[in-house]
Amino acid sequence: MNRPFSPPSIHKPRSIGLTLQALALAVISLVWMYPFLWLVSASLKDSLEIFVSGLDLIPADWQWNNYARAWNDAGFGRYMLNSIVITTGSVLIVVVRCALTGYVLARYNFIGKRVVVGIFLATIFIPAGYTIIAVMELSQELGLLNTHLGIILALSGGGHVAAVLLYTGYFSRIPRELEEAAVLDGASFFQVFRSIMLPLAGPVTATVSVLTFLSTWNAFFVPLVFTFSRPDLRTLAVGMLAFRGEHSTDWSGAAAAATLSLIPVVLLFMFLQRYFLEGIAGAVKS
Amino acid sequence: MTNVNRTTLNRRRLVQGSTAAAGGFALVRIAPRAGIAAAQEEVKIVWWDQFLPLEPLHQSIWDRYQEEHPEVTVEYTVYNPQEQGQALQLAFTSDQLPDVHSLAGLGVPPPQLVAQNWFQPLSNGDAIQGKLPEGSLLEGVTIFDGEVYSFPLFSFRQYTTLNWFNKELMESAGFDPETGPTTWDEFRQAAKAITDAGDGRIYGWIQGLNFAARLGVHVDDLAQSAGAPGAIDFTTGAYTYDTEPYAQAIEFLLSLQEDGSLFPASSTLDARTGRARWATGVAGMFFDGPWNIGVIQKEFEDFTGKVGVAPVPTPGGEETFLHNGPSGGVFWISSQSEHPDVASDILAQFTTPEYYVGLAERMDQPPLDLSAVEQAEVHPSYARAIQLFTERVRLAPSPTARNPAVSQVQAEMKDIHPDLGEIAQGVFSGDVTDYRAALKSLNDQMTAERDRAIEVVQGEGVEVSIDDWVFPAWQPAEDFTPGMYGQGD
Amino acid sequence: MAMSELDTGRQSIPTRRASAPSGVLARLWSDRWIYLFLLPTAVLYSMYSLWPIGVSWWYSLLDWNGFEENGAYIGLANYREVFQDGFFWRAVGRTALFAVITVPIRLVLALMVAVMLNNPRLPFARLFRTAIFLPVVTTTAIIGVIMQFIFDPAGGPINIMLLETGLVDRPVNFLGDSSTALYTVMGVHIWKWLGVTMIYWLAALQTINEELYEAARVDGANAWNVFRHITVPLLKPFALIIGVLTFLDTINVFDMILTMTRGGPFFSTEVIDVFIYRQAFAATIPRLGYASAAAVAFGLLTIVLAVIQILTFRNAREARRSM
Repeated sequence: MNRPFSPPSIHKPRSIGLTLQALALAVISLVWMYPFLWLVSASLKDSLEIFVSGLDLIPADWQWNNYARAWNDAGFGRYMLNSIVITTGSVLIVVVRCALTGYVLARYNFIGKRVVVGIFLATIFIPAGYTIIAVMELSQELGLLNTHLGIILALSGGGHVAAVLLYTGYFSRIPRELEEAAVLDGASFFQVFRSIMLPLAGPVTATVSVLTFLSTWNAFFVPLVFTFSRPDLRTLAVGMLAFRGEHSTDWSGAAAAATLSLIPVVLLFMFLQRYFLEGIAGAVKS
Repeated sequence: MTNVNRTTLNRRRLVQGSTAAAGGFALVRIAPRAGIAAAQEEVKIVWWDQFLPLEPLHQSIWDRYQEEHPEVTVEYTVYNPQEQGQALQLAFTSDQLPDVHSLAGLGVPPPQLVAQNWFQPLSNGDAIQGKLPEGSLLEGVTIFDGEVYSFPLFSFRQYTTLNWFNKELMESAGFDPETGPTTWDEFRQAAKAITDAGDGRIYGWIQGLNFAARLGVHVDDLAQSAGAPGAIDFTTGAYTYDTEPYAQAIEFLLSLQEDGSLFPASSTLDARTGRARWATGVAGMFFDGPWNIGVIQKEFEDFTGKVGVAPVPTPGGEETFLHNGPSGGVFWISSQSEHPDVASDILAQFTTPEYYVGLAERMDQPPLDLSAVEQAEVHPSYARAIQLFTERVRLAPSPTARNPAVSQVQAEMKDIHPDLGEIAQGVFSGDVTDYRAALKSLNDQMTAERDRAIEVVQGEGVEVSIDDWVFPAWQPAEDFTPGMYGQGD
Repeated sequence: MAMSELDTGRQSIPTRRASAPSGVLARLWSDRWIYLFLLPTAVLYSMYSLWPIGVSWWYSLLDWNGFEENGAYIGLANYREVFQDGFFWRAVGRTALFAVITVPIRLVLALMVAVMLNNPRLPFARLFRTAIFLPVVTTTAIIGVIMQFIFDPAGGPINIMLLETGLVDRPVNFLGDSSTALYTVMGVHIWKWLGVTMIYWLAALQTINEELYEAARVDGANAWNVFRHITVPLLKPFALIIGVLTFLDTINVFDMILTMTRGGPFFSTEVIDVFIYRQAFAATIPRLGYASAAAVAFGLLTIVLAVIQILTFRNAREARRSM
């Protein structure tokens, strides 16, 4: 892909460069978006037509009943509520704990720092195997099985080293002057963090929120295993079980269910976009 | 590990205590309203299986039961086998097993599970045994230590390699749309004819080659159709993968690809997507079990009128038989269930003639009582499939029924890779060029592994030997009835 | 409040403090806020990551099928078997290939896209960003089905395009041919996860002051030079982190491979994740102990490799310095 060449300080060619970029991105976007569009169109067809029409996007009859079926069979109303509670809780915990950790790792030396960093780095390379069994037993001991809290902790307590790494990287780049100025003004350790550093890490918080939201929203095994005895606590991803039996898949129902469950994530992403674009430029000026 | 169990036991008692207290509280509230003196505690039966197509039938049974017993509710979850296996594993370790579940996803043989305390016996075992056809229950399969643990729902007379074909395409290729091809040569010709007429858009044969395990079953069925006794020859107890029928079966399938009759995307399709693409009319023939028409009717209704079925083809039209061991139990009551009586009572509803008719109408696996199919409203192709089964399928002996220790050997054996299905997959993809050598290697490794497992189990003081796989009284063309287990030892 | 807190934990990023209170206990007390901040993660991570990993180390010493109460202790026998298992090593090789190819492509492609989308004057930027992020969000199972159509050798758009442009003369069975399947999966993987790497880069780009760009342009620099001399150096600290994160993605491709190829055809897409799954669950009799041993063995291999790389890198750098 060629970078458009934009000669300096002449306005017309610069906007041509931009137009070219926009065109290139439009093509890429279409290719990238296509499967999602296919999913939505599949949710409006019946199962046979999905396979007959292959890659055509326009349904012959618009089968809205797929959505009705998805809503009823997959218990969508209740499951969506569970998903929202669990995902919101997880995102909160992940953001808070990773921001706190990333902050101290980035900007301070302390006794035991090498140990902490070493442990993190060592554990991220081990494939997430059958940790589920140990997590289950632990949660059972603590009485956390079949509770929302148990699921939230299981999804947000471990892992997420990516989030810690991101926060660490970000916080280490924030200039010391900001902090020193605040301390001179009388801010405490915690106040410096809360009022200066954290807001500056907006883009990372947005990134971590979206990704945590996504992985938690789609998590299947942990919510399944934590709700064996309380199916009313199940999440959407687990609800999708209703569409796959031994020999058959209810393709159109599954597509409708998948579309319904994807809408919140897409909306969240669109909403959080502007936070990806807040810089620290302004802060340094003042 | 022991610590965990001890603590869990204490917690369980605590939970049980509080449930009892809650039940007592409910009793106080219900009694004045209903005016009934008897303790009516809420009974919830948690039920897991993979039978999505049978759900309406089962739901009607549960609803009827609840009308007569208002305090009982059945909480049902459907899984696909893979996920159920993992779910059961995790439920077992966390004391959350459902009350009733099927064995989907559990590859461990039932006798081993019984030995490890997974199940408890039915409380109405004798009554159920009386209602089932003679010989349906066998010690070592569904009866353990004289107690009935489970019972079959489906008949052993079935196989997975029926030739389902598109009647329109079959007819336009010049073949009889009511009977279809019956020999390997006819199959090959039909496939070629359909492909030629298809002009690059339609092919003669489609199969879900991605699903290696199922592909292995198809090869096995075709080999049996060519005269093999099955994976094990019961006159000698030896594995048969290196015998001619298996090589011939693979050769036959490969010839279809060489002819160009195989739908090109088949190597990426599994059973579900293979069936879906077949239903769009892009291919003529598709191997699948009897449930195929049930799935088509439910999901691809518009295609139902074009479905025809033919038997698994034989090399030259000879009369060969396919063999299945005795049907195993489908639903089992877990040892962690607190309501075995209610569960047994509900399960008894699954042995009535009406149930078998209902099963037949769902067109999944054939019911234990095959005569129910005649009384049921089914698609003609399903009725024909059952007829074909009656003609060609015979009951095989079960080594486990003779000596339960055989299941211990089976549990000790490690999987050999590549297995039959994987070899077949490799043949189609071109990775396996000398399939006879591959089959021989598989055979040798399996024999060695079984010998090793036998030694291990013998080392634990259990009586088992290779002779447990030998049945001198066995006749390939006859059913091996329960009475024959004592003969010829 | 203010004065006493002044000496608590406030120091330059991270260098040794000049006026450090003496004595370990005193130091710990003055750093107490730091430890407080670490507490949530310390507790939760220990419970939900460290402990389970420790337990899986224990499992790797057992012969356990998950259907019994406990497994039998067999010491290092699983490890011996893993290191002799041809399937294990081939899976490791495939995973390595997967990482070596997808990580650089994803990093570079995502960076280019992020730089373009970072421009506030670009029209429809928000739409483009969402579009590129959509595959991240799309259910993997559905992607499996769609890809079968897209790569279909008889009428799929990719093959049609290749045939019509004359690049090939026979259709290519991308997902069904063992020589192309792995690369096809790599391509789909890059497509799906590009959006994630893109937002990592976008977040990183936010640390670069807009004014630097303006200043450079006023000085007459063109877009390429701006990129090369301003953007790239300032992104370097992030490059390593984003690279590691992208690499970690390749160890967890399980869902995608399972729905698209199931590890086939003939094991050609069986990466370490799929191998472990096959041992633990897909076998007739599951072998949780063996699967755990494979997971731990793979983790150790990766760490050893990473350490070797860091050491060689450091030695090379020092060698250069001393020249």
